[in-house]
Amino acid sequence: MLGLLGTLNLASRSLQTQMTGVEVTGQNLANVNTTGYTRQSVEIQTSPDISTVIGPEGTGANAVAIQQVVNAILNSQIQSQQSTSGYWNAQQTALQSAQTGLNEFLNGTGSATSSTSTNSTTDTGLSGQLSSLFADFQSVATSPTSVSARQQLVSDAQTLAATFNQVNTQLDASRTTLNTSLGNDVDSANKLISEIADLNKQISTANFSGATPNDLLDEREQDLENLSSLTNITASTGTNGAVDVSIGGQTLVSGNQVLDTLQTYDAGGGQLLVQTATGGVNLTLTGGSIQGTIDARDGELATMQSSINTLASTLITQVNTIHSGGFSLTGTTGANFFNGSDAATITVNATLANNPSLIQASGTVTATGDNSVALQLADLASATQSGLSNQTFSDSYGETVAALGDSLQTANDQVSNQTAVTNMLSTQRGSVSGVNVDEEMTNLMSFQRAYEASAQLVTTLNTMLGDTLAMKTS
Amino acid sequence: MRIGTNSYTDTMIDQFNVLKSQQAKLQNQLSTGLSVQAPSDNPDAMENTLDDLSSQAAQQQFSGNISTVQSKANSIYSVLQSLQTISNRIGEIATSAGGVTNSQTDLNNYAGEITSLIQQAAQLVNTKDPATGQYLFGGTNSGQQPFTVTTDANGNVTGVTYSGNSSVNQTEIASGVTVYMDVPGENTSGSGAQGLITDSRTGADLFNHLISLQNDLLSGNTTAISGTDTANLQSDENNLTYQVAYNGNVQTRLTTASSLATSQSNSLTGLISNASSADLATTMTQLTQAQTAYQAALESSAAIMQLSILNFLQ
Repeated sequence: MLGLLGTLNLASRSLQTQMTGVEVTGQNLANVNTTGYTRQSVEIQTSPDISTVIGPEGTGANAVAIQQVVNAILNSQIQSQQSTSGYWNAQQTALQSAQTGLNEFLNGTGSATSSTSTNSTTDTGLSGQLSSLFADFQSVATSPTSVSARQQLVSDAQTLAATFNQVNTQLDASRTTLNTSLGNDVDSANKLISEIADLNKQISTANFSGATPNDLLDEREQDLENLSSLTNITASTGTNGAVDVSIGGQTLVSGNQVLDTLQTYDAGGGQLLVQTATGGVNLTLTGGSIQGTIDARDGELATMQSSINTLASTLITQVNTIHSGGFSLTGTTGANFFNGSDAATITVNATLANNPSLIQASGTVTATGDNSVALQLADLASATQSGLSNQTFSDSYGETVAALGDSLQTANDQVSNQTAVTNMLSTQRGSVSGVNVDEEMTNLMSFQRAYEASAQLVTTLNTMLGDTLAMKTS
Repeated sequence: MRIGTNSYTDTMIDQFNVLKSQQAKLQNQLSTGLSVQAPSDNPDAMENTLDDLSSQAAQQQFSGNISTVQSKANSIYSVLQSLQTISNRIGEIATSAGGVTNSQTDLNNYAGEITSLIQQAAQLVNTKDPATGQYLFGGTNSGQQPFTVTTDANGNVTGVTYSGNSSVNQTEIASGVTVYMDVPGENTSGSGAQGLITDSRTGADLFNHLISLQNDLLSGNTTAISGTDTANLQSDENNLTYQVAYNGNVQTRLTTASSLATSQSNSLTGLISNASSADLATTMTQLTQAQTAYQAALESSAAIMQLSILNFLQ
């Protein structure tokens, strides 16, 4: 039998237990807007009973643990999806940059009618400028002695060459930006690796001393998710609560030790890849923004830049081969129309640009009015080129644009899908681990009422003790 | 299902962003009239549109080429008509002078007229294209005067030399289709475009034949006038008739090609429109739907967010 003092002790522990409940509820409410916070709950257990002649008698309740409400499987899924999301976000960013660099967009004037708009569509990039170049060759062929036609040709050819230069510069800049982004991501990954090792140490120590380091676990989970968005990781939890982290098959964090870190290396030609810093092991990564950046840079971006360069070099070669065999209005021959060898270096021969009469449109030195060379140059518009996979200049460029569009469209779709998946998982995790204000307020009232009742019990016992003492004095 | 307070607000923010993004995209389509603007919007449509725009630019250039050649053809036709007038007068003179009733004075007068007609014809075939300033009948050597007349002390024509060539320029009027409108003044190569004044295949040699006629008139050789000269002049007349007919045929081809280029350009406009233009009715409907959804999301969110258990706690 507990007796008055035992029951008073029960009431006292009950007050402490309910107070712990209020404290945990307060902690949850305080962190309702904290990113990555996992709600906590107080575990209350009945105190051991004591045997009496009439049966076991309860001794109240104790708060035995404050636990996180967490679903480890959901956390693992979110880590995995973060990696996929990071990969496609990086691809999307890189390809959007490439699309902007290519500057091939359609312009309209908003002349939409009730059914379909009348066509006033123009394009802003190389496609229209290539068409203009060949149209200008036609104009010169039609009026071979016209200086104004030649001036228009020079002007449009200079615009085309400048656009080739600009596209190449933009794509080079995109490549440089991606390499910088890669370096920043690797630095961020190393920082997270270091933090995870530190947190492992603190968590192990806390576990060893019997404490439950809930906030540290939240912090480490956030770091693991952030690291996952940078690269695909394998995380395994040890018995002491520490998490080992492997990237690309290499263990970088073991317990509280950072075994290795990441660094970029030049695989040749400025192609930055990733390896372990100490071991020097070249890593094959499978996800995350680091690999997304590498794949976009070495995939679609490199292919597009190569295609643009091949287009420019083929144009230079074909036009020069024909043009150099022609004769100008003054009878000169042998000059190239374009200088340079690729998209970066293509320019219109300055001598011709300064004096369009020197454009070699005639096929014979004795007849300035001959147009046979200009006609051959104009015919290049519809001629298939072996260097362009037996496509015309226009078709080859169109394919390059479409390939970029396909890749970016895929990236956009994947980002959209990943966003939906991540949101769904986040909602699911929120349903388990997220703080719900209504629920916490209800819990608060529950603990408050229990505390109030326990306090009333103490008051009652106090009165009873007083009554008992009064019996002796009276 | 239990809902975390932040999950709820995060979801609402995502929904707002998606609906705002949809509205921005549709509004942009309406303001530009284009459903495809960037390669990633619709790669296939973008490729087709660029291809169609390129084809359309080519068709417009062919139309420009045709227009230029038509202008030149009209200039040539004008000269040919004048030459035919001269040729008719020459025929009349040859017929009259070949008779037996003419005195030498009459023949001399005819000779003077022939000399004058030679000068007129030479002037005509030295006509420049008003559009380009180039000589019409010098072949591709169009920068210098093709015909030069030489006369003796009496003003009689002794020769007409040709400094052009027999080449002509081809002009592309449709993809892979070329025509030549140029008429060289002389072609003695036996191939290529038929010469206007001299052509070895038809026996035409107008200036030399007229000089012979002029000389025969001056010498009173009526036999040659009615015989050789008249026969030669018939060859020249036939050659001139061929040139007029060729000019007409090419002009007909140009008219047909021009119609075809315009028709194809219009057809390409339709294709471009189908591939890349926004359908106004559909886009407006989609925008209205997106706006309605956005409004509903805002209203429902605002209503729900104002409520919590705190509203009912005293």
